[in-house]
Amino acid sequence: MATDFTTARPPLWRNVRFLRILGQAVFVLLLAIVAREAFLNLEYGVREQNLDLSFDFLQQRAGFAIKEGIAYNPNESFYSAFRVGVVNTIRVALVGIVLATILGLVMGVARLSTNWLVRRIAQVYVEIVRNTPVLVQIIFWYVAVILALPVIGGALSLWSLVFVSNRGTAVAWFRLEDGAGAWGLFLLAALAAGALVLRWRTRVDERTGRPAPRVPWAVGAFLVVVAVGFWVSGTPVSADVPEVGRFGYEGGLQVSPEYTALLLGLVIYTGSFITEIVRGSIQAVPKGQKEAAEALGLSPRQQLRLVVLPQALRVAIPPLNSQYLNLLKNSSLALAIGYPEIVSVSNTIINQAARATQMLLLVMGTYLLMSLSISAVMNALNRAVTRKGQR
Amino acid sequence: MTTPAADETMDVPADGEAMIVAEDVEKWFGHFQALKGISTTVRRGEVVVIVGPSGSGKSTFIRTLNRLERHDRGRIVVDGIELIDDIKNIEQIRSEIGMVFQSFNLFPHLTVVDNITLAPRNARRWPKPKAEAKAAQLLERVGIPEQARKYPAQLSGGQQQRVAIARALAMEPKIMLFDEPTSALDPEMIKEVLDVMKELAGSGMTMVVITHEIGFANEVGDRVLFFDGGLLVEEAPPDVFFTEPTSERGKLFLSQIL
Amino acid sequence: MSGRLPGDLERTPLPVVDEPVVQVAPTRPPLTSGEWVRRNLFSSGFNGVLTVASGALVLFFGFQLVRFVFVSADWSVFQANLRVYMVGRFPEDQLWRVWAVVFFLATLVGLSHGVLVPRHLTRRGLVLRAVLAVLTVGALVYLVRSPLVWLLMAVTVALFAVGVVAGRRLGRRLLRSLLVAWLLAFPVVVLLLSVGDVSADQWGGLMLNVIVAVAVIALSFPLGILLALGRRSSLPAVSWFCVGFIELIRGVPLLTLLIFGRFVLILLMPPGLTFAQLVRAIFMFTLFSSAYVAEIVRGGLQGVPEGQYEAAKALGLSTTRTMALVAMPQALRSTIPPMIGHFISVFKDTSLLAALSFSELLFTARRSSQAFEFVGHQAEALLPAAFLFWVIAFSMSRWSQRVEVRLGVGER
Repeated sequence: MATDFTTARPPLWRNVRFLRILGQAVFVLLLAIVAREAFLNLEYGVREQNLDLSFDFLQQRAGFAIKEGIAYNPNESFYSAFRVGVVNTIRVALVGIVLATILGLVMGVARLSTNWLVRRIAQVYVEIVRNTPVLVQIIFWYVAVILALPVIGGALSLWSLVFVSNRGTAVAWFRLEDGAGAWGLFLLAALAAGALVLRWRTRVDERTGRPAPRVPWAVGAFLVVVAVGFWVSGTPVSADVPEVGRFGYEGGLQVSPEYTALLLGLVIYTGSFITEIVRGSIQAVPKGQKEAAEALGLSPRQQLRLVVLPQALRVAIPPLNSQYLNLLKNSSLALAIGYPEIVSVSNTIINQAARATQMLLLVMGTYLLMSLSISAVMNALNRAVTRKGQR
Repeated sequence: MTTPAADETMDVPADGEAMIVAEDVEKWFGHFQALKGISTTVRRGEVVVIVGPSGSGKSTFIRTLNRLERHDRGRIVVDGIELIDDIKNIEQIRSEIGMVFQSFNLFPHLTVVDNITLAPRNARRWPKPKAEAKAAQLLERVGIPEQARKYPAQLSGGQQQRVAIARALAMEPKIMLFDEPTSALDPEMIKEVLDVMKELAGSGMTMVVITHEIGFANEVGDRVLFFDGGLLVEEAPPDVFFTEPTSERGKLFLSQIL
Repeated sequence: MSGRLPGDLERTPLPVVDEPVVQVAPTRPPLTSGEWVRRNLFSSGFNGVLTVASGALVLFFGFQLVRFVFVSADWSVFQANLRVYMVGRFPEDQLWRVWAVVFFLATLVGLSHGVLVPRHLTRRGLVLRAVLAVLTVGALVYLVRSPLVWLLMAVTVALFAVGVVAGRRLGRRLLRSLLVAWLLAFPVVVLLLSVGDVSADQWGGLMLNVIVAVAVIALSFPLGILLALGRRSSLPAVSWFCVGFIELIRGVPLLTLLIFGRFVLILLMPPGLTFAQLVRAIFMFTLFSSAYVAEIVRGGLQGVPEGQYEAAKALGLSTTRTMALVAMPQALRSTIPPMIGHFISVFKDTSLLAALSFSELLFTARRSSQAFEFVGHQAEALLPAAFLFWVIAFSMSRWSQRVEVRLGVGER
């Protein structure tokens, strides 16, 4: 028995779909009202200060010097000055990321060592560094260490290759001569050769079942091509060993004490978090995996390389991404010690030209761009390691 | 497990009025059509058993009945109320339908009693004593009154599913939907849940049950709906379907499960 | 059961045991010191070398550090400025307010500790605590010259101890009142410290860091939950806005947000309306923190199985009720560890206010070493500040680990 039902349209105020659209419309409307109010207030406030909201001021003459960075003089524009800041941020962030990762790897492995003393040392390092604010650490390195180091005459040195004093750090570096371009090509060829040899030896290993040392052969091939190229291009590179002169360093790669302190603080601080990530990701690999690998007859090194580390890597990449972004953002604390990175330089620009709104938009936009870039690389890495597996 | 009190047995009217009417119900997930026009009527007091291979749309269909999924075409009418985009309709319909899930879905942070009384107290505004009395009664009915203060994690699978049934019954629904209620249970616990369901059927509850338990279907089922590939392929009483299905696909399905 | 199996398992099957069989691990005699050293420090040639090398390093640096702390360092910069480190330029005659707050908090923390943290006295824990206690008392005796302050500190410790004992005695019944007390604590403290002959401008030192941290945590917690719910909303407009907001905040340094608060925020307000610098800083800091809280809560909500929402919907619970009664309780439990970790970060980040010249602990420490008579003693000025930050952060992190155990996180 069929009862007659009329398909009535629900009244608008009870209609589920209508209500959703209405809700969103109200929300957007509220947002728009608030935004408009804020913008109008901003315009008014800016006009009261006899300023504007345009970015034209960036072309004006900067009029202030910047202690370190790419070539710049005070006659250039504010925009140029800003660019110097950006480069300085990248300089400290990239190097910091690399060094912090290395430190984190070493200490992370130490945290899992069978040696009790090594384990405890790593643990103490993590517990102390992790729980102290990063700004405190940076200021500490700057004020209590770097500036307190001996003057240039009595600079500390590490095998005469690295010098540290309160004038900064100088590291033995290389100098490019003629033929460096040609040698660069040889370097690329050497990389290719190394990769080819690596693949060849892997193939041999798989085919014959006899252990074929891959890495030593690949490295050897690489070095051979490099050496040949060196000889052919006629010594394209010479060593640039710093020397301690009367007023400063001569030669070598020099960085300011501010840079040194900032780098030290950032690397040691972020390194402690990366240590925990390394430890956590290795421990996250189920114990059964290692046991299965062992039961299959793999050596401890092979277990690590073929079974544990690849799985640990998958777990580690997202938190590593977070830490790299944190390092980037923490570089802004250079404001407190006068290293001229983005925030520091922008602060000076605001003091000179007073357009805080525009500068802050510029600064935040730049950080967002840099954050997105780092995340993009890490996401690609993430895809690369998860493509081969599941999850 | 006790037999239901007299006042809980529902009168089954002789003409069996239609509780659920589905007309040409269709549903898409993106480009995939999960339901290709299902039409059926479930009368009051009927126990309808739905069978079919996985992915045939059985789960999707019963989930459209209480708006856990929204149907894209066709009409669904529950107890005279049409299921449309009207909040009031949807709420009314949901209050008349109770659902039991394959994975129980008990609230782990609440005790058994709190699980059962949560909805009556919050959606129906029952005072606590009334709700707890009802809960005690229902726990008695499903046979586990002593588990009242325990947490779900402390119960076996069979006990958890019985709590889930009690929880659904606390809202005094007119229709009960079961989505493979025993599929996640260890074999020795299936019987206790089926017994509760049989008692429920015996008391006159309108039930739509997705299951593979042929014994249950034969005992209390009034009708079997065989789903395959989003279509209602065959409809027959259980003793007919499970011995001599008329459709080819029905025969194939039976040969796979028997 | 005699402990022996029936001889013929075919005829007499093993009885089904209801209780889980308790496995007792085979006991080993504890290692002698010699064995322990050999196993943990010298298990291989390589390890032996490592032990010797790192041991030498530890001894060397440890010696230098000890010599610095006890011999060559001149701690007068800290001793002379102790009050400024702790409370900034707070007027001396109003310090009783600060002590009142300290007593109140000590009791409250003691009670919370007693109720929430299980008694866990291991020998190692006892030793660690004894060492820390001796160090602290020694440091305090050396640094603080006023007997009145010693007395007040002793009262504080006593109140804490009493609180712990009372909390242990009264147990979980106290939870509701404790929650109310904590919620009221903040406004009460703020009132006590700003009404009367004092004003908020005079806050400084460690006190300022703590107040800012508590304010930010209290305000960003509900805001973060709202953001997380908004992000999960089925209304695209709402969820996009929340996602955009969260990603924007997380992509920029906190310092830039604080600078924004200092220079630009006021321009967005109606003309004439102004707020104290501290309020602006707390506002921006709260926005910052809420984005991170939102992400933590979102993670927790993702951990709630979809079936929970379905069951609630099928039972007729409205979306709000489902969230409040079913989803959030489950989500929040799993978010407690990362949430506390975030709060610890908030506390550490209050040091950033130093970069904006607020006279909190770090700024004070740095400035005191710039005074004429203390030039050259920057390390002695900074280390106590660093130590104060560290002690609080470390204690919070240890405390959170114990609370996790008590609340049974990760069990259900």
